[in-house]
Amino acid sequence: MMQTSSLREHNQLMAVRILLVDDHPIVRQGLRTLLEGRSGWEVVGEASDGLEALDKIDALQPDVVVLDVTMPRMNGLEACRLIQRRQKPAGLEVLFVTQHDSPQMMREALDAGARGYVVKSNAARDLLEAVEAVSQHRVFTALARSPQASC
Amino acid sequence: MKLRILLADDHEIVRRGLCALLQKHEGWEVCGEASDGREAVEMAKSLKPDVVIVDIGMPYLNGLDTTRQLLQHDPHFKVIVLTITDSDQVIREALDAGARGFVLKSDAARDLVSAVEALQSKRMFFTPRVNDLVLAGFLDKGHAISRNEPPNLPTLTVREREVTQLLAEGKSSKEVASLLNLSTKTVETHRSNIMRKLSLHSIRDLVVYAIKNNIIQIQMPPQIQRPSETTVA
Repeated sequence: MMQTSSLREHNQLMAVRILLVDDHPIVRQGLRTLLEGRSGWEVVGEASDGLEALDKIDALQPDVVVLDVTMPRMNGLEACRLIQRRQKPAGLEVLFVTQHDSPQMMREALDAGARGYVVKSNAARDLLEAVEAVSQHRVFTALARSPQASC
Repeated sequence: MKLRILLADDHEIVRRGLCALLQKHEGWEVCGEASDGREAVEMAKSLKPDVVIVDIGMPYLNGLDTTRQLLQHDPHFKVIVLTITDSDQVIREALDAGARGFVLKSDAARDLVSAVEALQSKRMFFTPRVNDLVLAGFLDKGHAISRNEPPNLPTLTVREREVTQLLAEGKSSKEVASLLNLSTKTVETHRSNIMRKLSLHSIRDLVVYAIKNNIIQIQMPPQIQRPSETTVA
């Protein structure tokens, strides 16, 4: 009985509410498929650009925002800066998942306030580890040619 | 009997999304997944899928040349091209390569099922913009899209296009030779022929040519806006 209650408590601690932000629905579908395989994690919503993401953050109060860089209306970097400045709810973290495999872009993302950076071509390899890390407020960065991610 | 589909995209996350979308359709199955064009051609030869869905921007062999090689091997292959842009030039090249379907990646969640259904019924599927361009071709010969239209650029052979892409991706002649199972000397000969045919003088010129002609694709980063310039809405 004690064990069951501890397990429940552990799962609740590990529960992560995720908002997916990417202008390509097919990419969001792929990310969702991957993330929903993890027990306790829930994709609570999706947005197709930075502006929509800001609205959804207000409404859905996610723990982690998985954010693309290049999007119409408002790109991910701008959205990330606004999240930090305007409305960052306690505990909210931003993880970039992007096609831009460059140290410069990664630096921009971290400077904008992101906690993690993953390259899309390696998302299937790195995403789960990255979400786990940033949800625990640890930095996670991995470029495509990285031999391994750094936490 | 299920319709068998082969997917080719270098991003596993996109393939996962495509799989999830296509496998909702009863009667379809994803029989294979390839992460680049060369792998797609090899898998198509062995798996003989009913439909092949290829991304244009893939490493080693792009989607347009993959389509060309597939149809050269077997003209009955039905290919849908996935693309991030429907510029005139990409449309022209996709049609010229023999694609039967053309879907924007941003619209794939909406259009891809319709595209596969169209090909299954021996029809073609194009975005409204492609349809407009094809129609314009009938109405205005000056903008005609015709497979008999003489190419604007010097013609490279299939092998030369492969070598061009690999060199433009930054591979050395030795690496290209290893990937294509050729001798380094043969690759050097291809390289000289390519440079001569295209009147290019350096690898930099070759990279520019490859980008301009959709042999490789690059995604430009957004213009970096400093925090002090950001307007709070």
